[in-house]
Amino acid sequence: MGTAINISDVTRSFGLRKALDRLSFSLPQGAFLSVFGHNGAGKSTLLRILTTLDHPSSGAVEILGLNARKDADKIRERIGYISHNPMLYGDMTAEENLLFFARLYGVNNPQLRVRDLLDDVELAHRRLDTVRTFSRGMTQRLAIARALLHDPELVFLDEPYAGLDPHAVEILDGLLASIRSRRTFVMVSHNLSSGYAHASHVLLLSHGRAVCFESTQDLALESLTDLYRRDVSEGVF
Amino acid sequence: MVRTEMRNPSTLCQFRILLTKDLRIEFRTKEMVTSMGLYALLVLTVYGASLAQTAWGFNILQMSGGLLWVVIIFTSLLGLNRSFSQEKEFAALDGILLVPMDRSVIFLAKMTANLIFLLVIQIITVPLFIFFFLATTTPAETALLIVIPLLVGSIGIAGIGTLLSTITMHTRGKDVLLAVLFIPLIFPLLYACVSATSMMLVGTDDLGAIWRSLALAGGYDVIMILLGWVLYDFLLSA
Amino acid sequence: MRSSSLSDRIVPLALVVGALLTTAAFLLAFLVAPLVAGASVGSTEIIGGIAVSNKLLLSQKIFFFHVPVAIVSFAALAFTAFYSIRYLMTKESRFDTRSRTATEIALVFIIATMASGDLWTRFDWGVWWVWEPRLTTYFILMLLVIAYFILRTAIDAPERKATFAAVFGIITFVDAPICFMITRLVPSSIHPVVFSTESSMSPLVLVPFLLALFGMLLVGFSLYRLRLRQVTLTNRIEFLKLQLEEKRQAESRKKRMMEETKAITVE
Repeated sequence: MGTAINISDVTRSFGLRKALDRLSFSLPQGAFLSVFGHNGAGKSTLLRILTTLDHPSSGAVEILGLNARKDADKIRERIGYISHNPMLYGDMTAEENLLFFARLYGVNNPQLRVRDLLDDVELAHRRLDTVRTFSRGMTQRLAIARALLHDPELVFLDEPYAGLDPHAVEILDGLLASIRSRRTFVMVSHNLSSGYAHASHVLLLSHGRAVCFESTQDLALESLTDLYRRDVSEGVF
Repeated sequence: MVRTEMRNPSTLCQFRILLTKDLRIEFRTKEMVTSMGLYALLVLTVYGASLAQTAWGFNILQMSGGLLWVVIIFTSLLGLNRSFSQEKEFAALDGILLVPMDRSVIFLAKMTANLIFLLVIQIITVPLFIFFFLATTTPAETALLIVIPLLVGSIGIAGIGTLLSTITMHTRGKDVLLAVLFIPLIFPLLYACVSATSMMLVGTDDLGAIWRSLALAGGYDVIMILLGWVLYDFLLSA
Repeated sequence: MRSSSLSDRIVPLALVVGALLTTAAFLLAFLVAPLVAGASVGSTEIIGGIAVSNKLLLSQKIFFFHVPVAIVSFAALAFTAFYSIRYLMTKESRFDTRSRTATEIALVFIIATMASGDLWTRFDWGVWWVWEPRLTTYFILMLLVIAYFILRTAIDAPERKATFAAVFGIITFVDAPICFMITRLVPSSIHPVVFSTESSMSPLVLVPFLLALFGMLLVGFSLYRLRLRQVTLTNRIEFLKLQLEEKRQAESRKKRMMEETKAITVE
């Protein structure tokens, strides 16, 4: 197994403010990384950089062994991104949305692929309804289907559980478990225990810097909670 | 699970997919065409009110080229302001940016969609304009040729407008800002198109002047669309 | 970052030289350059003891100010476009600062051109304003430059602001050559064509004109450098302030942690 993500000295500044400050870590393929941090710690910025939607002001980013700036297109073929925005068209139906993106990716036999995915996320019965009429949970599920259309080997999730009802959480958990094998995951989360439960590695960010990057074997949930608490209380001052 | 097969679609293919998407959404919501059409009708009504006082005291034909373009400019401004609302609402544009593709295709597809909407509006507005205001006049034989400046002008409006509405999409007070950027920038095009349209409606012996205007308009189109093609990736990455 | 380079020391000197040159040019223009024949008077009249059939225009002296200033405004816009391209290529904020500063200078000179041109129009053509191709396109150029600044204020994110402004700066520049060429393209234009192979300026006119042009370019360039220095220094101060603030925060954090540890050991 190679490395899925390798970043070194990544800094991303917005004007004078540094959203990420000399961040470095390396994640093996097949790992599940959970990223924690209070609001404004740089979690979303990190995800946008890792998904090639943004580029660092300085430092090197390597995704699946490819340079994020030079080989962005090759990386995009192999990653999926579930952000807190669904990235869908409100006035197209669930099926049309998925077909549109599947064709854009050039997925073979898009009809079949879309039907399979709609079944997986339990939206087959609503496939002819426009996204605008969907609840938060349904939109989120469709967004997950959209991100998995091209069968990415590296999946990024930005607070996927935010605003979901228990049933939707159940479906999401099942879905994550079913696609877990062979894939690498990076998940931004607010919920320490559920984020920790999935993870093989954890990254705690504070003010754009890594407080810790550890394997879950080396870091118990309690110590993570301690670190997080101290960081949050400091964030207040 | 079987590994999903992928084959990168051609640029032309991606262009078609993106364009079909815009047309499909528009066909479903009819948002752009209804609002633009209604707005154009309202501007014509305002013309009616403002021209009513002049009765037949002046030659409307001389002015008609300019009046026609005023409707087109303001109507297109309204449409362009909305051209990215669907992309922005649920951040669908980010979804497209995640797809491996040449981002200039997004520009061309959006521009073509905007061009189609503009042409649809003109198919309704221009005959209506002629019916309302030029029914009692006798335009020159060259009058039918105005489709050429209308088309050349619309291409430029769609190109420059798409570029600028991508810029204003992320700004505060985007409606006003688009007008502030758009109107000066299309001015050379507008100037050339108005003069060509007027000459065609009124009739002129100097055909060379018409072609010069059209060449200026066409040249401006080409330069602006090329610049849009080159610069679009920067706009989307920002 | 070195704040006082050689060029920075030369700049005030360049400003003085530029001012002297333009002043000299204006003096020459009024004292040496002959009056230029303007609009015809209608019938032969006696002006200053000489029978002339057209009026000699003193207002033409504005030429020695108006044209050099206009050229500097075009040059400044070229700088804007150049640094905009550099910015898009490198994404270094110093190029953004440069293109913004160049556009500021362009605006100053555009306004000066408009003002002097307006006076000239009034005395030569008898009206304050006319929608004539050169005037119109130049007016549009001014609107574009103003729009550039409105665009900048409408965006908060610094990087996006810089990128969008750079793109707009580049497409704006397309209008500069159009404005420059329009008097040649549109024959109906009543604005005179200054630079062509046919026009033959007598040395008495050419020398003060070139002096004024060179002086004005120097003035424009040194104003640009001075403004750039000011902006750069302001940015630097902001940066230092921020660093100081961060340091202060880090220290207070350290102090608090030490107090906590002390408290624990006491327990």
